[in-house]
Amino acid sequence: MDGCQSGVPTYEGDLHVVAAAHHIVKALGATKNLSDDLRKILIDLDSHLSMITSNIDSKGGRGLVDVEERLDQAERKIMRWETDPMMIWDSGPKEASDYLEAVDETGKLVDGLRGLSVHENRKQKEILHRAMNILQMAMSRLEEELIHILVRHGQQFEPKHMYSRSIRKDIVYDESFVSVEDEPIKETSSRNYSNDESGECIVDLVHADVIPDIKSIAKVMFTSNYGPEFCEAFISVQKEALEQYFSFLGTENLSIEDVLKMEWTCLSSKMNKWTWSMKIIVRVYLASEKQLCDQVLGGLGSVSSYCFLEISKATILCLLNFGEAVAMGPHRPEKLLRLLDMYETLACLLRDIDTLFSEEAGSFIQLQFHELLERLGESAIAAFEAFRVAISSNGSLYPFAGGGVHPLNKYVMNYIRMFPEYCNTLNLLLKNQHPGVADQVTEPDYGLDASLLTSCPMAYHLRSITSCLESNLHKKSQLYKDEALQHIFLMNNIHYLVQKVKGSELRLFFGDEWIRKHNAMFQQHAMNYERATWSSVVSFLKDDNPGSSSMSKSTFKERCKGFSVAFEEVYKTQTSWSIPDPELREDLRISTSLKVVLAYRTFLGRNLAYTDDKCVKHTVEHVENSLLDLFEGSSRSLRNSRRW
Amino acid sequence: MTGTDQSSFLGRISIRRNQVNAMEGYHEQEIEDLELFQKQLSDRFAELLSAPDDAPTEAFLSISWIRKLVDVFLCCETECKAILLMERDAAQISKPPLDRLIPELLERVVKAMDICNAVTNGLELVRHCQKLAEIAVSALEQKPFGEGQARRAKKALVSLMSAMHVDDKESSVQKTAERSWSFGRRSGNKDRHHGHYRSLSWQVAKHWSASKQIHAMTMNLAAPRGPEASCLPAPVYILSLIIVFVMWVLIAAIPCQERSGLTTHLPINKHVNWTHSLASIHDKIGEEWKKKEKKGMAGLLYEMQKMEKLGQSLIEFTDSYQFPGEKEKLDEVAAQVAELAEVCRRMDEGLVPLQMLIREAFHRLVRNRTEFLDVLEQGGPVV
Repeated sequence: MDGCQSGVPTYEGDLHVVAAAHHIVKALGATKNLSDDLRKILIDLDSHLSMITSNIDSKGGRGLVDVEERLDQAERKIMRWETDPMMIWDSGPKEASDYLEAVDETGKLVDGLRGLSVHENRKQKEILHRAMNILQMAMSRLEEELIHILVRHGQQFEPKHMYSRSIRKDIVYDESFVSVEDEPIKETSSRNYSNDESGECIVDLVHADVIPDIKSIAKVMFTSNYGPEFCEAFISVQKEALEQYFSFLGTENLSIEDVLKMEWTCLSSKMNKWTWSMKIIVRVYLASEKQLCDQVLGGLGSVSSYCFLEISKATILCLLNFGEAVAMGPHRPEKLLRLLDMYETLACLLRDIDTLFSEEAGSFIQLQFHELLERLGESAIAAFEAFRVAISSNGSLYPFAGGGVHPLNKYVMNYIRMFPEYCNTLNLLLKNQHPGVADQVTEPDYGLDASLLTSCPMAYHLRSITSCLESNLHKKSQLYKDEALQHIFLMNNIHYLVQKVKGSELRLFFGDEWIRKHNAMFQQHAMNYERATWSSVVSFLKDDNPGSSSMSKSTFKERCKGFSVAFEEVYKTQTSWSIPDPELREDLRISTSLKVVLAYRTFLGRNLAYTDDKCVKHTVEHVENSLLDLFEGSSRSLRNSRRW
Repeated sequence: MTGTDQSSFLGRISIRRNQVNAMEGYHEQEIEDLELFQKQLSDRFAELLSAPDDAPTEAFLSISWIRKLVDVFLCCETECKAILLMERDAAQISKPPLDRLIPELLERVVKAMDICNAVTNGLELVRHCQKLAEIAVSALEQKPFGEGQARRAKKALVSLMSAMHVDDKESSVQKTAERSWSFGRRSGNKDRHHGHYRSLSWQVAKHWSASKQIHAMTMNLAAPRGPEASCLPAPVYILSLIIVFVMWVLIAAIPCQERSGLTTHLPINKHVNWTHSLASIHDKIGEEWKKKEKKGMAGLLYEMQKMEKLGQSLIEFTDSYQFPGEKEKLDEVAAQVAELAEVCRRMDEGLVPLQMLIREAFHRLVRNRTEFLDVLEQGGPVV
């Protein structure tokens, strides 16, 4: 540059050299892929050459007059808008480009005059001063125009995934374990990260048509060293737009104190909302914002990433703080699935975050994300442990009426049925966790054929959970005074356990061996029930002397009476017992029938001589039909109803 | 203080506890630990108190001073927790009066976390002020200087002043939020430039108030008396007091949501040795706060105060400036601009690290709470 200043040409011929140089500079400036520094140098050179030309001219008497004329022209174009209530960019592309041209011209004149300031020409200084005034006015105006364009053409988008978000059944944990109904839950398909939300979907936060306008404003403001003003204005509008969007999603700022005091149902829905908003904000909004920054400010070094960070930081921290609050809250078992949702969301967003905030200034945000992920993981493990503890420590003072499926069992099994969905995450988190009840779990020998799933950490923990559940159920069964009812209770509950495992993905983790073992277990309880209830009843029908033809009438009468009393007693108690599963109920009735009815028929058949006697209170058919009333859960009496 | 100071102190407690745990004289050792701890505290606060009121670097309430204060807080927190929890049987922690004092402490800890977040938001505003001041500086440093640059500087300085002086009441936040999308006419643009730092992300939560949090934190904060003064209630009180004090200073220094009505009285027990310097710092800041509270809410941060003063004076200059300007006046302004540039430089250096440090304090409070809860719940000693 110095060379230019010292060598102001004095000869007519030099004019051509300068003109030629000017052309070359212009041609070079039109090249597309120039570095920013080079472009800036060329622009400066351009202004200098213009000045030199006018200086050469000044030898011919025109000189500064020409510069002044050019400035006058630019000033008129710029000043015209100072009194106009319309916005320039609203008035049409011609107006906008005229204005930009005038600003560009003023900028060039300012640069050129500055370059020549060594001449200390008073007139020249005056013109420079005027030009800088005009430039300031124009920059101020451009800032306003920029804000106006950004606000007017800013676009709010409806999140595409608003309606496809995973709606998992929200199980409300209840200390009394009575609120969980045993209904089929079918929503696994709605939760599918890979094809639903992972596709980067970038939207236009500002209408695509105005991006070139914003870029041209950015260009002229940065060229004139008004870059900081541009950034502040740009950041201010975009930051506010993001906050508006944040509240549009229905996410509100909550203090940590509020979150810690929040009731579970409310917290659960906030956690869901967080999971959902986090994805949309990071994957869609921030990705789009990043693109906008790059479109507008790309090629200006770190400016784009600086603006992006300033725009997004506050909102991101707000989201992170909610996560922190949740992670530090009490580790109640009911929180587990929501925590896993949050953990998985964050884990799958990490890559996006690392890309969005890859610059050094953004490493703070990156770090906060990684820390939160770790804490959510710890919190999820703690909730998992709390779940196990809650199962073991769930105590009852009174036996569960009817011996049916205990609500604890329903709750636990319906809850863990969701676990396979989180298999990978749980495996990762539980890898180093040793269940406190390890010794209670007798690790079955699955042999070489066992699939990998049955030996993953989650499978191990699942079996340890059901083992906790089983021992608790055994404890609960001890509350029944009637041994037969203990068996009914255990049969019902283990049968339920097995059904739940078999009927869901859980079977893959428990394995066939476990299922076989537990099938055998409830069948054993069924047999034990039969023995406990019916052995004594049937013993009345036994033939004491298989060799002799028949018993005496008095013995028969006595046996008959004994049988009916015992049978009626069983009928009375066991009609109130319950076997909720119809198949299981049916099976048990059939096998009971086989045993009792057969014995009764044989007994009566062998003593045909006495069967007319009034002492035979129940016919075989009566007994057979009566057995159908058992386990229906409502107490009946044979003696009172006398329905035959 | 230095890192070695602290690690040797922690090592001392650890070794001591291991050696004498089951022996007689345990209590005497504890008293000695506590005294040593209080002596260190006293030294640290004395050092903070000794900072000059007005100096280019390390001034009282400057960014670097606040960083030191937060450092002191972090050290103290570690040591207090060591005294309270290291090698200790949980049974001691869950006995009266600790069964009341510890949950109260933890409530304060939660409130302090929210304050840390409010202050982090406030630091964004300070950074915004820095950016505006930088624009003013670069305009005022332009050669040749003319009316155009004067106007440019003034525009930035006026934005700076209004950014500093927007009151932190919630009503103004809501107004900003409502207005935001409705403007579009040029006249509506006037004061929105700084408005966004008062919008939604500025809030910790609806209806949240920094001054109310401090008020709540001081409830039941009383120095232990009699025999309690030399055993476990003492470190609980010290930790509580320091948390409240540091949070109070942060709120007074850095703009944040709803500071009006901030108390200038913290229940500091002035009858023990270690609180002398702390109490003096408290009085000094309290006086400042009373003076400044009515005038605007820029906060007592040294750099912000300086910026405010220089900003006012430079606005006056730009108001009356006419090309080419008097040489004498220009020289005077050049000195002020250099000073403002220096303030900007210190902000540029210190604000981001301070923000990170406060985030660290936040995380520390989170961990601290977890550790206490673990001890209370599991009933086992912290190793």
